[in-house]
Amino acid sequence: MQNTKEQSICESDQIGRILKSDYSGRSFWDVFFARPLGVRQLSLLSELQIGESGILVAIDLPMLVQNHLMHMGFVPDARVMAVRRAPAGDPTVYLVDGLEIALRSDTARSIRVRSLHESDNEAPSSTANASSDLVEAAR
Amino acid sequence: MSSSCCTTPAFEPPKAPPAPGSIRTIALIGPPNSGKSTLFNRLTGLRQKVANYPGVTVEQRMGVMAGIGRADLTLIDLPGVYSLSPYSEDARVSVEVLEGKMPGTPKPDAVLLVLDSLHLTRQLMLAAPVLALGLPTLILLNMTDLMESRGGEIDALQLARELGTPVAQISAVQGKGLEAVTLFLNQRTNAAKENQSLTLPVLGNAASTHKWAAQVSKRTGYRAPLSAENTRKLDNILLHRIWGPLLFLVVVIAVFEVVFALGQPLSDGFGNVLSDIGNFIAPFLPAGWIRSILIDGAWTGVSSVLVFLPQILLLFLFIGILEDSGYLARAALIADRVMRTTGLNGKAFIPLLSAYACAVPAIMATRTIENRRDRFATILVTPFMTCSARLPVYMLLIAAFIPAKYYFDGLIGLQTLVMIGLYFAGFIAAMTTAWMLKSSILKSSETPFILELPQYRMPTLRALGMRLVDRARVFLYQAGTIILCVTMALWVLAHIPPIHIGAGSWTAPELADSVIGKLGHFIEPAIAPLGFNWKIGIGLLSSVLAREVMVATMGTLYGADPATQSLHLQTALHHDMTLGGALALMIFFAFAMQCTSTMAIVRRETNSWRWPAAQFAYMLTLAWGAAFLVNHITMMLIH
Repeated sequence: MQNTKEQSICESDQIGRILKSDYSGRSFWDVFFARPLGVRQLSLLSELQIGESGILVAIDLPMLVQNHLMHMGFVPDARVMAVRRAPAGDPTVYLVDGLEIALRSDTARSIRVRSLHESDNEAPSSTANASSDLVEAAR
Repeated sequence: MSSSCCTTPAFEPPKAPPAPGSIRTIALIGPPNSGKSTLFNRLTGLRQKVANYPGVTVEQRMGVMAGIGRADLTLIDLPGVYSLSPYSEDARVSVEVLEGKMPGTPKPDAVLLVLDSLHLTRQLMLAAPVLALGLPTLILLNMTDLMESRGGEIDALQLARELGTPVAQISAVQGKGLEAVTLFLNQRTNAAKENQSLTLPVLGNAASTHKWAAQVSKRTGYRAPLSAENTRKLDNILLHRIWGPLLFLVVVIAVFEVVFALGQPLSDGFGNVLSDIGNFIAPFLPAGWIRSILIDGAWTGVSSVLVFLPQILLLFLFIGILEDSGYLARAALIADRVMRTTGLNGKAFIPLLSAYACAVPAIMATRTIENRRDRFATILVTPFMTCSARLPVYMLLIAAFIPAKYYFDGLIGLQTLVMIGLYFAGFIAAMTTAWMLKSSILKSSETPFILELPQYRMPTLRALGMRLVDRARVFLYQAGTIILCVTMALWVLAHIPPIHIGAGSWTAPELADSVIGKLGHFIEPAIAPLGFNWKIGIGLLSSVLAREVMVATMGTLYGADPATQSLHLQTALHHDMTLGGALALMIFFAFAMQCTSTMAIVRRETNSWRWPAAQFAYMLTLAWGAAFLVNHITMMLIH
């Protein structure tokens, strides 16, 4: 359990995890009763709050489903935003590549994302650069 | 068997001798909901169904390109695909046609790749495997008008250079830029094939394909248009936790109110016109059996079904608005939670909703469901959804037997409530059956629910009008064929065997003594517990052809009976039918599978007679049981 007051900016701990302690936009309830957020380097798509974005890391689903999702825009390094939940609370609509796609939470639980906040705080366009750098490196 | 809902004219490919090396067959391919069918309709002048949700087209359709004056060329419209490694049944169709492996469909010589320019980066992923096919390809960037109005940008020339293939910007809805297709076809037909030097990504690897597509779109200066704010705002209301489902309910009730409040006077007026036509024509026909068979038999029967045309068109107008606006996918999203408790995928809700129009296209639309067991379960429960063919039967019986009472200051009528109750009963039966199937013989592991939500679009009057015209045509065609034949046959059966009354003169037997009366009385014991008389029994037998035939049969039988001949059909029904019997009959229609077209399509889609046979038996048993209960409960309550 981390002490929350000390880490007002993002920093790495000894084993290289990025400690995140940006509570902006989180409710009182989340801060006190939710799972501690200090060690959230990797998280799951299903955990994104509405309006929150993440960078897709990997999809842990059967190859066929994974391929299908990737063709719908769920590729590594894509920015995914949770847009809204269905009235019943379950399928959640995600915005990826300008397109709204609904996924059930058990599917979204198999998709890993990394938080957007670190990169946003440091350099707003770093994700775009990072992905194009990757593209350049791949060539 | 003429299909009750979708009649596709048999396609005849052009017979001209093929010039060597020339293009004769062109395939339309592209991601789902990118506007292929709209373009197909533009280029061929045909009317393939289009709507605003992914997965409208589920099988290949062919037509000659008469719309641009090239009747010598065949165009194939294909279901939308995200990649050439098929994920669902409809996508498999596209891949098989492209590879020339689909029996009955020629291998395409050229490809028109339709991409939605609103989401070009992702859509370009499909360009890689399509270009790798090595066929002459024209890339059509569709919805250019929308992209430009929302501030998007693309350098089409640069894209053409990048991909080594011609690129054109079009708008299929407005018919703009289609001359590029003509140019492309002329050029390719005459010019020799040029060599393309193009570096394509490793095929089959989605990540590398996406990288390639992102690079290409970046180099061609693609700027994605701003996402439509309207869609977001509308969804804030339509998918709201409370307002969303509530609005849906209000709209549904309003639709049925409109069908009654506006449709009933319309159909009464239409009925008067039809009977006036009958009265007008009658004197011109020779008296005797010819006049009787044409007026009392055919015209009475056919017009008793025809009167419901206004109501059916109203219902179709509503379904058309649902489909064209893009709301259908949202309905599937809202319904996913309910569907999950049955074990089905929320995606199954789209075919189920379109089954409110007709089960036949709905069963074909299940091809978009990836899991085979889910798909079969959906096919098996689809006929429970209240299709428009049940509407005439419901309208007739409700108007005849349910008093026109109003509640809540006239907001909701009792007749509307009964109607909604019948629709609800069908839906509950579908869900319960799906749950039973999914927890027993069709059990499977849950497949992921992946649903693309299209942006809202204003339904165009032209598209809605064309839907209604097509629907009216199908309805009239059916009235002029099946229903006409059935009523004439019934009239004949009601008038034989003739009775010899001496000196060479013959007369028709009493209705009860005719062949049809004998047959009716023979099956009466089976249906008497339901409160049905023998005429209803004949109606049920004839309605196996198509449900609305029931109404025509009633019209003919009551018209042939001297006791009820002069009465309006609604009044005539009161002659020998109780309230219990009427309610039971409605419930019977809600549950029974009385449609040969549906059985034929289930046979085709499941590739076996076992499924439609089991389905028929199950639905008949359920219908009989429910009608029995309803009849006896009503009798107990009344007495």
